[in-house]
Amino acid sequence: MFDLSSMMQYLPAFLEGFIMTAKVSIISIGFSFILGMIIALMRISTHKILKYFALAYVDMFRNIPFIVLIFFSYYGLPEIGIYIDAFWTGVLTLSLAVGAYTAETLRAGIESIDKGIIEAAKSFGLSPFKIFIKIIMPIALTVSVRPLGSVFINLILTTSILSAITLNELTGVSKVIASTTFRPFEVYVFLVFFYGLLTFLLSGLFNLWHLRLNKYNEAG
Amino acid sequence: MYGSEGFSIYDIILWAQGLGVSVGVFILSMTLGLLLGVAIGLIRYYQIAFLGKTLMMISEFLKNSPIIVQLFLVYFGIPAVTGIDMTPIEAAVWTLSANTAAFIAVIIISSISSIEPRQLEAARSFALSEFVILRKIIFPQAFSVSIPLLVGLAINQLQVTSLISVIGVYDLTRVGDIVNQRTFEPFIVWPIIGATYFILAKLLAHLGTRLERRFSQHKIMSEL
Repeated sequence: MFDLSSMMQYLPAFLEGFIMTAKVSIISIGFSFILGMIIALMRISTHKILKYFALAYVDMFRNIPFIVLIFFSYYGLPEIGIYIDAFWTGVLTLSLAVGAYTAETLRAGIESIDKGIIEAAKSFGLSPFKIFIKIIMPIALTVSVRPLGSVFINLILTTSILSAITLNELTGVSKVIASTTFRPFEVYVFLVFFYGLLTFLLSGLFNLWHLRLNKYNEAG
Repeated sequence: MYGSEGFSIYDIILWAQGLGVSVGVFILSMTLGLLLGVAIGLIRYYQIAFLGKTLMMISEFLKNSPIIVQLFLVYFGIPAVTGIDMTPIEAAVWTLSANTAAFIAVIIISSISSIEPRQLEAARSFALSEFVILRKIIFPQAFSVSIPLLVGLAINQLQVTSLISVIGVYDLTRVGDIVNQRTFEPFIVWPIIGATYFILAKLLAHLGTRLERRFSQHKIMSEL
C-alpha cells in the first residue's frame, strides 16, 4: 500500500534535510562560480602555464567521479592535519569539482564575445578588472546563463552523494526515515518527486533570467 | 590472508575485480539503456496515445533526480512493496539502464526532429511504408546526428557507475573504500582509483572520436 500519512511526523526532519541541502548548494554555487571565472580566465589567457594548468584542472575534475573525489578529501584531509567537518569537506570538494564545469560554460560565453567590444573598452581607458566585470561577464552570461543553470541543477543533484560521508542532507535524512518507518518505497518516490520539482522550478528561474538578460537581443 | 595494514598483492586482484564489475555494469546498462531509450523515443515520435506521454513523464523524473535516490528506490523500495528480491548488481543494472534510457530517448527524439520534414513527405508521397521510411530514411540520418551526443552521454554514465557502490556492489569505488579502510592510505588508494576512471573515460572518448569520424564520412564526401 502506498501510504504517506505515516510520514507526516517526519516532515520536520525532512525540512531540516532540505535546509542542509539548500545551504550546501548555495555556498557551493557561489564558490564554484568564482572559481569557474578564475579558471575560465586562465583557460583563455595567453600565458602558457596558466592555460595548461586550467586545461588539466578541467580535464581532471570532469573525468573523475565525484564520489571518488569526496572519499579522497574525506579520508585524505585529516591525514595531512586538516580537520574540517563533513559539511565543509562537501562544500569544498563540490565547489572544486563543479568549478571545472562552470569554467567551461563561462569560457564558451566569453569566447562568443566580439573582440571589437573589448578593444573599444580598452580604448576608453577602462581597467582590465572593470572590463571583465562590467563588459565581458554581462555579455558572456547572456550566452552562458542557460548551460550554467543546468550545471547548477546538477550540483544540487550531486549534493545527494554527500550522504555517503554522513552529511544529513535530504538524501541522508530520507535514508534514516526510510529505515525507521520501513517504508522505503514511499520515502524514495517522494524524494524523487521532490528533487524533480526542485529542478523544474530552478530551470524555470534560469529560463526567466535568460529572457531578462537577452531582452535586448532580437534573437532572444 | 593478508594482515590488517599495508598493501598486499591481493589488492591488485581486488582492483581488477572491481574494474571488471564497473566496466561490466557500464556496458550492460548502456546496451539495455540504448534499446529501451530507442523504444521510448520511437513511441514518443509516433505519438502513441497515453504511453508516449507517460514514458516521457517518467523520463523527466529520472533525468532530474539524483541517481543515488533512484538506486535506493529500486534496491530498497521496490522489494519492500513487491516482495521481489534483487541482488545489488541487478538493482544497479536496472536503475542505470532506466536512467540511461531517459537520456537516450531525448537524444533520439531530437535527432529525428533534425531530419527535414520535407524528406518524410517526399517518401510518403512515394507510398513507402512507415517501416521502410524509418529504416532507410530516418534511422541512418538520426544515427549519425546522435553519435556525438551518445558518446558524451556514455562518458557521463561511466562516472555514474561509481555510485552503485552505495548499495553494496563491489565495483571499483567500493574496492577503493575497502582497501582504504584497511590500509588508511587515502593518498595512494584514491588517486589510483581516480586515475583508473580517468583512463577509462579517455579511452571511451577516443573510441567515440573514431566512431564519429567513421559515421561522418558521408559529410566529408558531400563537401568535395
